[in-house]
Amino acid sequence: MHTNGQNIIVSGGSRGLGLHLVSQLLKNGNKVATFARTRTPEMDALDKEYGDSFHFASVDAVDADKVNGFVAEVCDKFGGRLDSIVNNAAIGQDQLLMHTDLDTIQQIVNINIVGPTILIRAAIKRMMLQGGGNICNISSICGSRGYAGLSVYAGSKGYLDAMTRALAREVGEAGIFINCVAPGFFESEMSSVLRPEQLNTIKRRTPSGSLSNDENIFKVVDMVISGTTNMQGQVVFVDGGITS
Amino acid sequence: MERQEILDTMNLVMTNKGREPITDETVATRDANFRSLDFSEVALRIETKLGRELTFDAAAMRNIDTVKDVLDFFEKATA
Repeated sequence: MHTNGQNIIVSGGSRGLGLHLVSQLLKNGNKVATFARTRTPEMDALDKEYGDSFHFASVDAVDADKVNGFVAEVCDKFGGRLDSIVNNAAIGQDQLLMHTDLDTIQQIVNINIVGPTILIRAAIKRMMLQGGGNICNISSICGSRGYAGLSVYAGSKGYLDAMTRALAREVGEAGIFINCVAPGFFESEMSSVLRPEQLNTIKRRTPSGSLSNDENIFKVVDMVISGTTNMQGQVVFVDGGITS
Repeated sequence: MERQEILDTMNLVMTNKGREPITDETVATRDANFRSLDFSEVALRIETKLGRELTFDAAAMRNIDTVKDVLDFFEKATA
């Protein structure tokens, strides 16, 4: 079972996990729009392969007017409805707080907190008037467990978890389902800052013995936005059991 | 926005959900089965009509008791 026939927005879909989510959702017969600060060659390739079923725009995620405009543009292009959004865009951190400059802190807060909030706000307005929709926030196990060097990042993911629970109460009655998918450390650009011995330690402490990959995460995201689960306000861990 | 247009918007929300339209301003929103999310949906529909956002505190919503309060609220908010 795969989500198909939906109109979906994935933030930060130009590379990494976001690109995988966009590619798989398109492959499964959805119309997918994504935005990022810069266009990558992969966006050109998806444009060529999927034509009108794909939409990319260079948008600053913290510019509310631009994000609202993007959502309106996507709805016009895809036929009016916005079935699901996946809040994926984020930046990582690998610094102790005492050594992190204020600009970096502000940047993490903007991209990981303000950006998703603006997109969710725009999406909820659409979903309220159309009678429902699905929101999937890509969180992290860092939002629930402590890891040194990730304090601001962890705070931003904890924010997503907490906002998800509050919004489930706020808009659940309108048929809007909002949940978080929280990956553990997975093979990504963000975990590439870890040294091989750190990655090996994480693998050793993980009951499944392996890090999650993009496809593991996609499968859970796909389920969350399917609108078939009645799951509401939850944080689903995809971490091989490291938080169990 | 005219009071009648606000009431029409409220009734559009009500009838879309299979509920009876509201005819009496003095009735309590609870008794009319007009819920807090319906209030939000009316606000969004008015936003769409006006082409601008309406922002207000949840406290303002909590003070609303009757249909008249809803109409007064949106009449003032859109003035």
